[in-house]
Amino acid sequence: MDLDSGSSSTVGAGVQAIPGRPVRRGALYQFKQQNLPACKPVLTPATVIATFLLMSLIFIPLGLITLRTSNSVVEIVDRYDIECVPEEYRSNKLLYITDDSISKNCSRFLKVPKSMRAPIYVYYQLDNYYQNHRRYVKSRNDKQLLHGLGDNSTSSCKPLESAGDLPIVPCGLIAWSLFNDTFKFNSGSSELKVNRKNIAWKSDRDHKFGKDVYPFNFQNGPLIGGGKLDPNTPLSDQEDLIVWMRTAALPSFRKLYGRIEEDLDADDVIVVQLMNNYNTYSFGGKKKLVLSTSSWLGGKNDFFGVASLFIGAFCMLISIVFLLLHVKNPRPYGDATYTSWNKKSSSS
Amino acid sequence: MEFFKCSIGGEVYGHGVTEIERGIAERNGMKVEEYKSPNAVQEKGFNFDDSRIMRGAWRNESNPDICKEFFRCLAICHTVLPEGEESPEKIKYQAASPDESALVIAAKNFGFFFYRRTPTAIYVRESHVEKIGQIQDASYEILNVLEFNSTRKRQSVVCRYSDGRLVLYCKGADTVIYERLADGNNEIRNITREHLEQFGSAGLRTLCLAYKELHPDAYESWNEKFIQAKSSLRDREKKLDEVAELIENGLTLIGCTAIEDKLQEGVPGCIATLQRAGIKIWVLTGDKIETAINIAYACNLISNEMKKFIISSETDAIREVEDKGDPVEIARFIKDEVKKELKKCTEEARSYFNSGSAPKLALVIDGKCLMYALDPSLRVMLLDLGLNCHSVVCCRVSPLQKAQVTSMVKKGARKITLGIGDGANDVSMIQAAHVGVGISGMEGMQAVMASDFAIAQFRYLEDLLLVHGRWSYLRVCKVVLYFFYKNLTFALTQFWFTFQTGYSGQRFYDDWFQSLYNVIFTAVPVVIVGLFDKDVSASLSKKYPELYKEGIKNVYFKWRVVALYAFFSIYQSLIFFYFVATTTLTAKNLDGKIFGLWDISTMAFTCVVITVNLRLLLICNSITRWHYISVGGSILAWFIFVFIYSLICHLFGRENIYFVIFVLMSTFYFYLMLLLVPIAALFCDFVYQGVQRWFFPYDYQVIQEMHKNELNDTGRAKLLEVGNQLTEDQARSYAVSRLPPQISKHTGFAFDSPGYESFFASQIGVYAPPKAWDVARRASMKSRLKIVLQK
Repeated sequence: MDLDSGSSSTVGAGVQAIPGRPVRRGALYQFKQQNLPACKPVLTPATVIATFLLMSLIFIPLGLITLRTSNSVVEIVDRYDIECVPEEYRSNKLLYITDDSISKNCSRFLKVPKSMRAPIYVYYQLDNYYQNHRRYVKSRNDKQLLHGLGDNSTSSCKPLESAGDLPIVPCGLIAWSLFNDTFKFNSGSSELKVNRKNIAWKSDRDHKFGKDVYPFNFQNGPLIGGGKLDPNTPLSDQEDLIVWMRTAALPSFRKLYGRIEEDLDADDVIVVQLMNNYNTYSFGGKKKLVLSTSSWLGGKNDFFGVASLFIGAFCMLISIVFLLLHVKNPRPYGDATYTSWNKKSSSS
Repeated sequence: MEFFKCSIGGEVYGHGVTEIERGIAERNGMKVEEYKSPNAVQEKGFNFDDSRIMRGAWRNESNPDICKEFFRCLAICHTVLPEGEESPEKIKYQAASPDESALVIAAKNFGFFFYRRTPTAIYVRESHVEKIGQIQDASYEILNVLEFNSTRKRQSVVCRYSDGRLVLYCKGADTVIYERLADGNNEIRNITREHLEQFGSAGLRTLCLAYKELHPDAYESWNEKFIQAKSSLRDREKKLDEVAELIENGLTLIGCTAIEDKLQEGVPGCIATLQRAGIKIWVLTGDKIETAINIAYACNLISNEMKKFIISSETDAIREVEDKGDPVEIARFIKDEVKKELKKCTEEARSYFNSGSAPKLALVIDGKCLMYALDPSLRVMLLDLGLNCHSVVCCRVSPLQKAQVTSMVKKGARKITLGIGDGANDVSMIQAAHVGVGISGMEGMQAVMASDFAIAQFRYLEDLLLVHGRWSYLRVCKVVLYFFYKNLTFALTQFWFTFQTGYSGQRFYDDWFQSLYNVIFTAVPVVIVGLFDKDVSASLSKKYPELYKEGIKNVYFKWRVVALYAFFSIYQSLIFFYFVATTTLTAKNLDGKIFGLWDISTMAFTCVVITVNLRLLLICNSITRWHYISVGGSILAWFIFVFIYSLICHLFGRENIYFVIFVLMSTFYFYLMLLLVPIAALFCDFVYQGVQRWFFPYDYQVIQEMHKNELNDTGRAKLLEVGNQLTEDQARSYAVSRLPPQISKHTGFAFDSPGYESFFASQIGVYAPPKAWDVARRASMKSRLKIVLQK
C-alpha cells in the first residue's frame, strides 16, 4: 500500500498536479472511475469440463471414504414401545401407561450383528415427538437453570411456571416432560455397566446449568409429566436433564443415554431390562433403543457418503457429456455469428 | 455560430465546406478535400479564410469600394458592446446573440476593428483603407438605431462620417432587404440571390447587407418624424416601425453573410450508432422544413434510399384557403388535408410491408399539420405511421407540441422515451419523456435544470446510453435478482423447517442471525456488484451497439429470469435444509454426543451465508479485488460474529447459541458439510451457466469471448489514441477552446430572439412584451437537434 501511494504522488507531481484535480492514478481514482483491474471469468468449455472433473475427483473419493467409515459403525435399533405393552393392553395403551399399578418392566433381547468395540453408545430415539414446537422450545428459563430462584421471571415457562408461591425449578414444559425410561443391559450372566456420566456437552454442563441449583419442587404438581429429579443433586450434575434440554431439531431424534464401556462380540445376545415409563402413546410417538459404536465422523450416517458420491458421479457424468459434445460438435468459440443480430440477418 | 462565407458584390468568398455539404457529397460518393491555409485565423466565431480579401487583399478585387462598405456595415451596424483592452487580440464583445458577435469579429478580422462605443459614436480602427498596410482610427457618429424585431427582421443604423457623409447601413433577412432595394443593378441582386440559395442549402444562416447614402435635408426631415414617433406615448413601437419604413428604402445591396450554426461534432455518427442499438429517433425541431430535412440528411436520419412521407402545410391548396382568411374554414380544411395525407401514407406503408421488400420509411411533418394530426381522432393513425417509420422529423413545432408528441409516444405506444435538447423550448419535452437529457451549452441552462441527466455534447449520449445506461441496467437487474434470490433462499430454509415443527412457527435461526443476515452477512458484496459489474468494457459497448437491444427487450429481467432465480432458490434452500437436517439423527463425533436444534440451525446458516456469497461471484462478469474483499469479508464477518456471539450471548439472556459454534467446530462433520453443501447447492447454477453459455449464449457473452484475450481493456488507452489523431476540425475546436473564454454578461436579448428586448431599447425605456409569435420564432431559429429517442 505504501509503495502504491508513494508512486502515485510522484506521478501527480510529474504532471504538474493542478490543485483540485484528481491525480489520475491511485487506488481511489481507479475505484471512483470504475477502472479497477478486474478478473473477467469467461466460462470456456475447457474450464467447465475441468471444474466438473475436479469436483468429481474430490467428491467420489470423499464419498467412498465417508461411506466406508459409516459402514464400520455398528448400530442396533430396537423399537420397543409396542412390544413392551402387555398383550391385554395393546388395544388401550394409554390405560397401561397412565396406570401406576401396572408394572412397566419389560425385557428385550438384542443380537449383536458384528463385534462392537467400546465405547458403545446407548441412545433412546423418539419419533413423531415435536421437541421443536414453538411453545415447547421456549418453555424454559435459562437464567433460572443457571442461577436458581434468584430469577423469578418465569413467565416463559407457562403453563408450568410455579407451584404454589415458588417457581418450579426447573420450570417449563421441556423439563417437565423429561424422558424417564430406564435401561439395564446384561450380556449372558454378567451385567453390562452403563456409564451415565459425561453424556452432555461440556459447555452445557459448565455454563448453562447451575452447580447450586437444586430441583427441590420439581414434579410436585397435580400433573406429573415425565421423569423426576433427585432434589439433592445440583442441576449441573443431572446430565439426563441437560441432554434432554438441548432440544432436537426434528421430530425424530436421538438422545444419548449412556455408554457401555465393554466390547461386544458378534452374535452376543444382550438382554435389556427396561422400564417403559414414558408416555408416547397419547400422541402416537415411537420409542426406540439404539446401540451404536462411533467413528471420527460420528454415528452411522450413510447420507453424507451417498450424497457425496451422487454429486461426484453427477459431475463426472456432466463433464463426460460436455467433453463428448465438445469433441464431436464443438461450438466455435467467440464466433460473431452467434450474436442475435447476425443470426437474424443470416436467417432472413 | 461562426462566420463562414460571404458574398460581396456578386462574388462568393470563403472556402469552407459545411458538414451538411460534406454529408451530401459523401452520399453521392464524392470525396471532399478541404483546403486549409496554414495561416488561417483561429478564433471563436470566425471560421473563414480566403486570401482574396484577407489582410487587405480586397483592395485588389474588382470593386474594392463595395468591399469597404461591406466591412463598414459589419463594423457599424450592430448593437454589440466591446469590453476589455482595446486591442484586437484581447477585446471581448458583449453581444446578445452569438450571430452578432460573429459578424463583428469577422469585421475585425477583415481589418475593421470596432473597439469602442460611446452613446453617440462608434470607433473603428480601419486598416488598408487608404493604402495597404496603413492603419487609421475612424469614428462614426451614430444618429439613429433602428432596432431589430421580429416583424421588421432587419436592423439599421444611421451614421455620420467624420467628413459629414450620412449613411444608413442595414442588415436583415433576404426577403425584407430585397423588397427595399433601389431599382437597377439587377445583376448583383440576382447573383446574390443565387448565392443566398446556395448558402441556405448548405445549412448556413444568411443575412443581407445593404446601405444607402442620405441627403442631409431628407435625413433631417425624417429625423423629426423619428423623434416624434419615439416620444409618442401610444403605439410607440408601431409608429417607430412605420417611421423606419420611410427611410429604409432605396437601399443598395452590398452582399450577404453566411453564418454556420454548426451541428455539434459527432452527431451523425452518434445517431447512426443509436439506430444500430435499436433506438428509434424522432427529431422535433423548430426549423423550417427544408432546414430540418437537410439536417436530417446530414445526421444520417434520412437517406436517398428511404421512402419519405412529407406532410406539409405549405401546399398550394392550403395556401389558397389561408388567403381567404376564415379561421374556421382554414382549420377544417387543413384537418381534412392532414387526415387524407395520413391515410394515404399509412396505406402506402402497409402496402410496402405487405410486399415484403420494404424500403425504410421516413416521416416528415410540420408543426401546423402536427397540430391537427395530434387531434385525438388522428393521433392513433399518426402514431401508427410514426412507429412504422425508420425516422420521424417534425419541424416548426412549438415547445408544447414537442411535449405532446413525446407523451403520445410514451402513453400511446407504451415505449420508453428519452428526450434530449439544449434550449429552453425543449424543457417541456424533456419533462414529458421518461428520461430527460439536457445538453448544457450556448443556449442556457434551462434544459439542463429540467433534465435528469446533463451532458455537454450530443454525442455523449452514446456513452450515456450504450455504456452507462447499459451497465446500470445490467447492475440493477443483477442487484434486484440477487436480493430476490438471497432472501428467498434464506426464507425458504425457514419455510421447510416449519413443516417439521408441527406448523408451530418455531424459528429455525436465532433472532440475531435472521436480523443481521441482510444487514451484515450478505450486504456489501451485492453493493459492490451494483457498483462495478461490467459485462463488456466501455469501448466494446460502443463498438457493438446492438448489445443495447438486450435492454430494450429486457432480457435480464423477464419473468422467465425471475422464475429461474426462484427455482434456484428453491433448489438451494432444499439442499440447505435437508442436507443439514437429515443427518441430525446420529452422533456427530467420537463422543457420541448429539446436535440439538440450534447446532443444526447454526450449521445451516453458515452454509447459507457461504453459498449465497459465493453465488454472487458466479454471477459476476468482472471480479475486482473489492469483490474478493467483500465476499471474503462477509463470510469472515459471519464467523467473527458467531464466535463472539456464542460466547457472550448468555449476557443477553438467550442461551440458545451459547458455545454452539465451538461445539460444531470440534467435529469433522461440520467441515465436511461446509464443503459439500455449498457445492451441492451451487452445482445446479454452475450446470445452468455452462449449458446456457454453451448453447444459448447471450450477445454479450459472445462479445466477451471474441475479445477475451485483449488484456486489461479499460477503454482509457483507446481514448488517448483518439486524442493523438485530431482531425482538422477537432484541432481547430481545440485551439478555440484554448483561447481565453468570452464571457457574456448580458443575456437579456439575442439578435435571433426578438422576444427579449435589447440593451439599448431598455436604456431608452422601450419595453416590448414578448409575444407568443416571438417564442415560436425563437424556436424556429434553433438548428441544433431536438430529438426524441424512442427505445
